[in-house]
Amino acid sequence: MTGDGARGVFQPELLDRCIACGFCLPACPTYALSSDEGSSPRGRISLMRALETGRLDEDDPRLREESSFCLGCRACEPVCPAGVQYGELLEQWRDHQWRGRNRPLLARLLIAAVSRPVLVRAMGLVRRPARTRRADAPAYLMLGCFERALYPNVSRAASRLLPDLAVPENQGCCGALHAHNGESRTGKEMARRLGDQLPGLIVTTAGGCVAHLAGVLGPGRVRELSEHLVASGAAPSGELRADGRRARVALQDSCHLRNGHRVYAQPRALIAAVADLVPVPGEASCCGSAGSYSLLRPRDSRRILEPKLDAYEAAGVDYIVAVNPGCLRQLQKGLRRRRSRVRAVHLAELLTAAAGDQTRSVP
Amino acid sequence: MSLDRGVLAELERVVGAGHVRHGRGDVEPYSRDATPVFRGAPDVVVWPAGAPEVSAILRLATERRIPVVPRGAGSNLSAGAVPQNGGIVLVLTRMDRILEVNPEELLARAEAGASTAALADRAAEVRLLYPPDPGSRTVSTIGGNVATCAGGLRGLKYGVTRNYVLGVEAVLPTGEIIRTGGRLWKDVAGYDLTRLLTGSEGTLAVITEVTVALVPMPAATKTGVAYFRTLADAGRAVAAVITDGIVPATLEFLDAKCIDVVEQYANLGLRRDAGAMLLFGDDGASDAVDRNLLRIGELCTANGAIEVVLAEDAARSEALLTARRATLPALSRLGSLTMLEDATVPRPRLAEMVDRINEIADRHAVPIATFGHAGDGNLHPTCVVDQHDTAAIERAHKAFEEIFAAAIELNGTITGEHGVGAAKLPFLAARLGADQVALLRRIKAAFDPAGILNPGKLGS
Repeated sequence: MTGDGARGVFQPELLDRCIACGFCLPACPTYALSSDEGSSPRGRISLMRALETGRLDEDDPRLREESSFCLGCRACEPVCPAGVQYGELLEQWRDHQWRGRNRPLLARLLIAAVSRPVLVRAMGLVRRPARTRRADAPAYLMLGCFERALYPNVSRAASRLLPDLAVPENQGCCGALHAHNGESRTGKEMARRLGDQLPGLIVTTAGGCVAHLAGVLGPGRVRELSEHLVASGAAPSGELRADGRRARVALQDSCHLRNGHRVYAQPRALIAAVADLVPVPGEASCCGSAGSYSLLRPRDSRRILEPKLDAYEAAGVDYIVAVNPGCLRQLQKGLRRRRSRVRAVHLAELLTAAAGDQTRSVP
Repeated sequence: MSLDRGVLAELERVVGAGHVRHGRGDVEPYSRDATPVFRGAPDVVVWPAGAPEVSAILRLATERRIPVVPRGAGSNLSAGAVPQNGGIVLVLTRMDRILEVNPEELLARAEAGASTAALADRAAEVRLLYPPDPGSRTVSTIGGNVATCAGGLRGLKYGVTRNYVLGVEAVLPTGEIIRTGGRLWKDVAGYDLTRLLTGSEGTLAVITEVTVALVPMPAATKTGVAYFRTLADAGRAVAAVITDGIVPATLEFLDAKCIDVVEQYANLGLRRDAGAMLLFGDDGASDAVDRNLLRIGELCTANGAIEVVLAEDAARSEALLTARRATLPALSRLGSLTMLEDATVPRPRLAEMVDRINEIADRHAVPIATFGHAGDGNLHPTCVVDQHDTAAIERAHKAFEEIFAAAIELNGTITGEHGVGAAKLPFLAARLGADQVALLRRIKAAFDPAGILNPGKLGS
């Protein structure tokens, strides 16, 4: 025990904001799983404070466990009347907790993969992403690191919906993955570098990237796809049909898009324009993908996902729309595992399919 | 103190190893509730699954003289759930089943750890209302509400938690499981132990199940806002409303500082130039509610309201009420330490009490904003300071001492709904007198001969 000094892990003003009212408890997915306050935002802030003041040893096992068990979904932020910036606190916590060799091996590998532009490009070459050059365009389409490797069709679809967007080939990673995995300083630098590479409005199909980018570059520089479509007045056309009727479609919010960037009405409006939007309980809560979480903690990730898939299936939807590639992968994997007839698609794909894109039908 | 391995092993045998945690990091989040300043780390946290497990734990604790602090969601505002003497924190949130909602008998039965909102939502599914409406209802447990006799925004017309508790299942510190009251509105067999346990703050027994009364869901609920130049004007309007024969479901007030911070948080378009705001609401048959709201508006205008606005729809009403519930956390944005009290005075003396609070705050040079339940005379003077400014904290403590004294002088009380806990125990004798405090201690000893249950709180 070292008295009540400050270790300097956290920015004191951020830590001071929490008044421990507990309004965050019902919003937290890991508290719902555990019923243990140590796994809630208020409890984790208690742990952060104990770390900061020295009441807990730096290597206390519960500190390690909770900094990793937290999804980082930030569902606690919109419900916090005291305005605690939990996402920032978590980044500072992981910077400290996962320093050096303490970072999970998988997180290190992931970060290494996206840190090298060459490798990112190589990932893209494996499956050819949508790339064109329109040097004079006012806005840029960002090609997310994992999206260009796993879901090149999403960028292609976005390009078709917004043909005026420039899609430069030379793009780095936005650094969100770094920021969420214990390297917040590098994460911020990468965001700034990407901001230099794409020196206008940046449009992204990845809800997970937008909050991080907006946090560094300012909200005026970055828009998520649905936000941009609605803001630019691009009305979706056509109708998506399934089994000879208008398709029933639900949304899975992207946590950082909703809780960090506060965008949730726009994707719903776009879906409702081309299909029957079906509200599903839990649609706004984390799907368990949570950046690197589904790789680092696969068991917990599934415990979060499964009841949500039950709810989507019970609602009798044809499609679940994701607005972030990580969520899309998580939903597709989970649905495949249970041989569900429900399909998960990205919003960009849904909209192009509705518009009657003959080159590519909805998967 | 710390517990020996034998006690931990016995606890694990009772509830299962996965439901006992005692690492330093495991117990840290249970060293506080929603009250600032008060702290105390427990030795072990235990999550029982039912009354028999609670009974075994309490029997062990009495035998080995280990303090036990029962805990629901930890939203307490009087340090009632802080384990200042270490020992066992008994968390009841695993026991969260809603056992029945009975429209014929107009009652619901739930385990203590069910959330208040979950219970109210289940009742609402069959068009029934659970009237108590504490500010923390989305967080708090029904057991915690009963243990603290929680109040809320509907007190004037509907009363508080105690008016709805028909019976409880509780475990005595010596291990006996008792059921008090039951499903009856009329039942005078014996002392009213249900009432005694309601508001006993976890010092007499551990409540494990509650039976609460419900009422038919009112057809309509509507809300309005009146702005005044001064709180005294608002106080006169409240008196005019009540003497006119209207008992509105909601009658809340905010002073100018509170209006300002709530508006910053919620962006509802509240008037920041007003000196005070009354939030009024009523429920019942739609035409009667409309009539009452119009009449309340007239009476506010007649008593100096500068503007009266009725909420156009249910969503706007809910937004106003939600904003009112968030007044405290919104105020906390002004500094790093938020001290909140809940002195209460007879309704006609509300404005006088607010004047006294402002005078005391000025004299001690501490910023105090006041909001609260105008219909109940229940005030929440709130002081927000820098947590490192020890001189300001000291001045705030002095100011609150004088505020309690002023409330008692006006025939009021030191706490209307937050409870005594550890925070207000030093002021209890001033309110009750020595004879009553002595009687409380004898009652405590009758329930808890070893003094293990929530020591340092009521009855200590």
